[in-house]
Amino acid sequence: MQWLERHVPKLVLAPSFIAALLFVYGFIGWTAWVSFTRSRLLPNYDLVGTIQYERLFASPRWEVALNNLFVFGVLFIGISMLLGLLLAIFLDQKIRTEGVLRTIYLYPMALSLIVTGTAWKWMLNPGLGLEAMVRGWGFEDFTFDWITDPDMAIYTVVIAGVWQASGFVMALFLAGLRSVDGEIIKAAQVDGIPTHRIYTAIIIPSMAPIFLSAFIVLSHLAIKSFDLVIALTGGGPGYATDLPATYMYAMAFSRGDIGQAASSAMVMMMIVFAIVVPYLYSELRAKND
Amino acid sequence: MARAVTTQRKVLNTTIAWIIGLVIFFPILWTILTSFKTEAEAIANPPLFLNFDWTLENYAVVQERSNYMRFLWNSVIIAGGSTLLGILIAVPAAWSMAFVPSKRTKDILLWMLSTKMLPAVGVLYPIYLICIELGVLDNRLALVVILMLINLPIIVWMLYTYFREIPGEILEAARMDGASLKEEILYILTPMAVPGIASTVLLNFILAWNEAFWTLNLTAVDAAPLTAFIASYSSPEGLFFAKLSAASTMAIAPILILGWFSQKQLVRGLTFGAVK
Repeated sequence: MQWLERHVPKLVLAPSFIAALLFVYGFIGWTAWVSFTRSRLLPNYDLVGTIQYERLFASPRWEVALNNLFVFGVLFIGISMLLGLLLAIFLDQKIRTEGVLRTIYLYPMALSLIVTGTAWKWMLNPGLGLEAMVRGWGFEDFTFDWITDPDMAIYTVVIAGVWQASGFVMALFLAGLRSVDGEIIKAAQVDGIPTHRIYTAIIIPSMAPIFLSAFIVLSHLAIKSFDLVIALTGGGPGYATDLPATYMYAMAFSRGDIGQAASSAMVMMMIVFAIVVPYLYSELRAKND
Repeated sequence: MARAVTTQRKVLNTTIAWIIGLVIFFPILWTILTSFKTEAEAIANPPLFLNFDWTLENYAVVQERSNYMRFLWNSVIIAGGSTLLGILIAVPAAWSMAFVPSKRTKDILLWMLSTKMLPAVGVLYPIYLICIELGVLDNRLALVVILMLINLPIIVWMLYTYFREIPGEILEAARMDGASLKEEILYILTPMAVPGIASTVLLNFILAWNEAFWTLNLTAVDAAPLTAFIASYSSPEGLFFAKLSAASTMAIAPILILGWFSQKQLVRGLTFGAVK
């Protein structure tokens, strides 16, 4: 009984720990192994070297997917952070009914894009949505047909992504603004420093850790993006809006090419690792000090 | 930042904030409105806002054609089941890390969280194969277990942040008075932990309810929840906006209502504890 009481903490932690580790890292190990084989429709476990990676980087479709990830990632993270920050600063001006508004701003994040994609498809449809609406107001030349244009379709994915994430970033930044020491701000105000300078010189620099967390969250959302593309364009027109996640999905489930799916999954994983590991490492060091 | 703001300014700001809110809410509102239109009204040009004949026809037709009550029921079972199972496993783990921390606690927590950062595609295929092997593809119970495992790190993390807020002194006082581990958990921790557990349940229910990646890939008909149903409905054979909107509204409604009545928990949950 004594022994039990002493070891209960470890025993109850074990299932979660083992589940998280085996389930994720164990299966990633499997994927890594398969990425070095000739697996096609069925997995095959004979290692043959980096042939899948060579095929992957020779594939024009993968090139499009990587390019899209870059364009989407930069715009999605940049615009979401900017809008989120502006919204947070605005909502911090003693707005009445702030609690309700915060919830409304966060709703897009609380809903699946698969579901809200219905309205987006309508809005982006040239014959029905925004284009038709603005033309109806008398601007006959207005065109907004990005979703059918292979060069522009990826930007519709950016728009929907920003819509979904901005409220979330706003909530993060709002917490950051509230945690800034009020005394310093008061002192600055007494010294007659203009408001915009207080923001740029005092408040925003002191929120550096929040910027970092927001960046990490957004970048892993960008790399994982799957719902967004499936809901809006299905990867089309052609494969113009493919992202690595949808590429992997297409290889695994419609092309019957497990080797390609595994190698593309591994490349995505490495991109995430490159961003997340330094962050986790710095977090660990900071917390252990 | 606390500053003196004039009343006039406040009214103006609040008005602008609500206009922004309306813009953000528009796609959701539009889905709900469209679900009450006929197909012709749904694609009318110029678009109709409120001046159409409200009808419940879409709900009836979609139900009749594809029996979406079944998809709704699947969503409830999968989201509810995985949440319950996850909480059962995570509460003891979070309790252990929050109240009996060891040197390794922070590392364990961060490594568990790191698994959530990794793209799910890396583990999709092996799980898919295992499901085929065990004959549980398109099976609700399998999805309950998989979604539980996927979200477990987040559940543990959330619970941990809540449990950390419970003052340790109370526990020490109880131990001094000779409370056993069982009494400590039953009479002191549980009542104080309930609000945190409730918020975590809400967050996880939302995450599981919205889950599309796994449900899309691992279900076909029998176990498909609303997200998979909507994704399949919108594919090739032309769009039926009104009917699709009806199905989408069914999928949106529970979250809108849950979120409205538990605003604080929604905000805190979705920001993973950053905003209290």
